[in-house]
This record gives sequence, structure tokens and C-alpha cells, in this order.
Amino acid sequence: MSTVDTLTNALSGWGLWIALVGACLGTYLCRAIGVFLSQSINQDSEIFRWLAAVTYAMVAALTVRLIVMPLGLMATVPLWIRILICALSIGVMVSRPTKRLVPALLIGTLLMVGYGIIR
Amino acid sequence: MSSADQPYIDPSEIALDESAVARFKNPSDAFWSGIRDAAGAPAMVLFAGMVGFGAMGKTNGFDVWFTTFTSFFMFALPGQVVLFEMAITGSSVLAIALAVTLTSTRFITMTVTLFPQFHQRDRNRSLYASVHLLAMTAWAISMREFHEIEVKHRLAYFLGLGLLCWLISIPGTVLGYYLAGMVPASVTLGLVFINPLFFLLTFTEVKPWINRIAMFLGCIFGPIFFVIDRDTSLLTAGLVSGTIAYFIDRKFLRKKSGYLG
Repeated sequence: MSTVDTLTNALSGWGLWIALVGACLGTYLCRAIGVFLSQSINQDSEIFRWLAAVTYAMVAALTVRLIVMPLGLMATVPLWIRILICALSIGVMVSRPTKRLVPALLIGTLLMVGYGIIR
Repeated sequence: MSSADQPYIDPSEIALDESAVARFKNPSDAFWSGIRDAAGAPAMVLFAGMVGFGAMGKTNGFDVWFTTFTSFFMFALPGQVVLFEMAITGSSVLAIALAVTLTSTRFITMTVTLFPQFHQRDRNRSLYASVHLLAMTAWAISMREFHEIEVKHRLAYFLGLGLLCWLISIPGTVLGYYLAGMVPASVTLGLVFINPLFFLLTFTEVKPWINRIAMFLGCIFGPIFFVIDRDTSLLTAGLVSGTIAYFIDRKFLRKKSGYLG
């Protein structure tokens, strides 16, 4: 491991591909564990209700992380702008939930592009 | 009465609305309907996200094969971003594999909450192949649509949905890779933003209160645990928020009549 680190600051060459293989295996392992566990769980059980709540909490935490604590380019946009655009899109969405997903998405995205142009 | 007291009911025996019964004629119909449902906003969002990711690969000096391979074999955008961020900063191979795996732990509970809704006949080893198509987009849509779909057609619907989402991510990544630097930063900004925005908007369609409370708590605990420990934050925030929501539901909500869920 340390030899890979000392070669160059950024991971490169074979080390990079080994990291990719490790990441792919790790990701698939999680999916496979899910399939294995799902065999013995039925959707009317208490554990199913609990796990559903845990999953929704996890994806919400992930989404908030992408918006509030982003990496790279999105981090250059002030936090209040990101939150304001999200709030406006949600406003459009909840005005008529069954019909407004695409308009809400477009408005949010175009506002973000607009901010990128005028800043 | 809690549902644990009830005898096990075969999901296929649960009566459905007439509209649901008539929704699909056969598995192939369900499969193509899944493809059609994916072909609108979900595919557009995923495509945009992958274009943004491809651009990230190019601007950080990864080659096009490496960038595309991550979309093909991992098909988990947050994990892919973590892989790139850590590779750029020169983390060790083991640390990268571990961090990416921890980001992917959500797939365990996603699978456990989605796959038991398939017909008993479909719950066999072939699911170990199908599960690769499971990502947040397909999961969110399936969780929303499944209760209106006949149990025996759910797997075909999911496969159509997941397959298109997976396949669209490959050209998206390649396109983003070659477009990087050619489009203005404002457009890239929009592409990067569309993914979290889509998830945020689909959350507004979640009906059961237990899951709404879980998501609300996840929004609060997510950043807190992120500050404490970045790699394990999703797992810990999910477990803490989900468990609190479960007990709120169990102690208070179920006793009230007319709650959704």
C-alpha cells in the first residue's frame, strides 16, 4: 500500500485499477448481501418496516450531503443559493405532485445554470 | 394491532385495485412499461448525472476507459465520486475500497426492502444478477409504483426500469468525458445539481409517515454524522434516524386511526 502512495501523490497505474476492482467488488458485495438477506424477510414483518425506515433515512442523508456538503464545482455555489433553489423546486413540485416532477426539475436546473452564468 | 400478529399473507393474494390488475397483460408488457417509465425524467436525470461524472473524470486526468468502467461495473454515482476523490488525493487502495463499500451499504437495505415484494417464484438465484441494476433511481420509482403493480409482474417491470437506467449511464459517462471543457461551467453546474434535486423531489412523493419521519431525521443526522466521521456517516445516520422513526411509528402513530402506511 505504502509503495503505491509513495510513487506519486495521486494514485496511478496498476494501483488505480486495483482500487477500482476493490470498489466494484465492495459495491457488488453490498448488493449481494441484500439479496441474501431478502430471501428470509417478508414484507409484512416488523423488521421490514424498520429496514425501510433505515433505508429512507440513508438516502435522505445522502441527498442532503450532496446538496449541503458537496465536493468540487458545486461547493463554489453559496449554500443559501443551493437551499433556495431546492426550496423553489419543491414548491413547484408539491403544488401538484403527480404532474410537476419534470417542470420542478427543469426550474431547479435552469436556476442553477442561470446562477452559473450571472455570477 | 401490529402486523406481526397477523398470519403471513402471500403477497400475490393481496387484493389489488382493478386498475392494478389490468395494468399489464404479461411480463413483456411490464418490462416495456418499466423501460417507458424510466425513459422520462429518471433517465434524463441519470444521464445528466453521468455526464457530470464523465466530465469530472476528464478534468481530473483519468482515462476514458477507467471512467466508463466505474459506471458500468459500480453503477453507484456517490461511490464513483468517492473513488475519484480518494484516488486524486492519493489514498491507499485498501482505504478506497473500504470507503466505497461503506457508501454502498445502502444497497443492502434497499435490496432487502425491494426484493421481498417480488413474487415468490421470482425470488431465486437470478436475483444475484438482477441486483446490479438496482440503484437509487430504480429503487425510488419501484418503491412508489410496486403497490399498484401485480406481484407477478413486478420483477419484469423492475428489470425494464433498471436496465435502461444502467445502459443510459454508459453513453452519459463517455459523452461527459469528451464534452468536458467544451461546455461552460454553468452548464456543468446544472448537470451536477440535477441528480440530488431529483432525489429530493421524489422524496416528496413518499407517503407513509414512518418513512417521512425517517427522511426528516436523516436530513438532520446526515450532516452531523458526516462531520464526526465521513465514511461511516450514511450508515450511522440511517440506523439512528430509521430506528427513531420506527419507534415513533410503533409507540404513537399506529394507535391513531387513519394514519397512512
